[in-house]
Amino acid sequence: MASNSGDKGTRNLVIAMVVFIVAVGVIFSFISSRSDSTAAIPAAVSESDGYGIVLNPTSTPTIDVYIDYQCPACRVFEIINGGYLNEVIAQKKAKVVYHPMTFIGPESILAANAAACAADEGEFVDMNLALFQNQPQGENSGKWQSEYFVALGKSIGINSNTFEQCVNDGKYVNWTGNVAAASAKADVNGTPTIKINGKALDRNTEYGDLGKFRAALAAGGVK
Amino acid sequence: MRAKFDTYQPWITLLARLILGGVLLVAGALKVGNLQKSAMAVRAYELLPTAIANFLGYVLPWLEIGLGLLLILGVAVSISGLFGAIIMFAFIIAIAQAWARGLSIDCGCFGGGGPVDPSQTKYLSEIIRDIGLLGLGIFLYYFPKGRFALDK
Repeated sequence: MASNSGDKGTRNLVIAMVVFIVAVGVIFSFISSRSDSTAAIPAAVSESDGYGIVLNPTSTPTIDVYIDYQCPACRVFEIINGGYLNEVIAQKKAKVVYHPMTFIGPESILAANAAACAADEGEFVDMNLALFQNQPQGENSGKWQSEYFVALGKSIGINSNTFEQCVNDGKYVNWTGNVAAASAKADVNGTPTIKINGKALDRNTEYGDLGKFRAALAAGGVK
Repeated sequence: MRAKFDTYQPWITLLARLILGGVLLVAGALKVGNLQKSAMAVRAYELLPTAIANFLGYVLPWLEIGLGLLLILGVAVSISGLFGAIIMFAFIIAIAQAWARGLSIDCGCFGGGGPVDPSQTKYLSEIIRDIGLLGLGIFLYYFPKGRFALDK
């Protein structure tokens, strides 16, 4: 095959374009994965707690709960252990920090936003439960949109305009990116992940059994 | 025999380029849309320090896309094949160590990833597939000249 400078030019141009695509992609990835310090954050959120929603800030020990509202295993976790965890919260037996992750996609972001809006109304625990109880079949099914979350809020007694506006405006959408970035730094590699005093529970035994879950929390200092 | 190989080799090279390049391109494209998940999948191997795992999670999909494009178009085939083989070798090591240590994760090769039920792991088939792709990469390193390539 005859080679000429035209072929070589095309080849080099293609290499340059591919390198360019990769470089731009990598730069874009880093920028979009960074924490946004200008994002609006809910009142109960603290940066030092990985941008999580903090309940009982002065209690000890600390329980970190990493979930995605579209994750089926998280729904199962909530059904099995949510009642007990909510009892721990109600009786202030621990500081509980919820980290709503959003790697399953857009409807996880909207759900996390709605949960954060409910937190501002002091109704996070009920909203958290309602979201899991109403988790759609299939990811990003189209069912979870703003109107849905406003109605869901009303069903648990949140009727304020600020809540409705917060949900409709996606007020805390950018905050979910901060939660994601902080969770990545905290080496959370699946949901649900529950940590007590920074130590993760055993995924294979302690999430699916209320007795073992209670025992794990007790071992971590929940009386 | 030798003459026969010489006749078919450019076509085998083309096929190897399209398979390895196509798999890399698809694997990368399925991951770039969800970098949170991509980084999570790398962390789930519990092999690298968190910061490096996250870095790899963001960079790897783009490298796969780049290598895939080069192989499909037939540009810098020898070196791209070598890089493809090196990546596959790294994947095989990562999957094998996860298997040996008793982790139950999805490889996250085509999106997805993270912990799965122990009954849902597919380590053996993942490793066999990657060994096949590693072989294609090595072939391309030694026999880069093929049909329908920009490389001459």
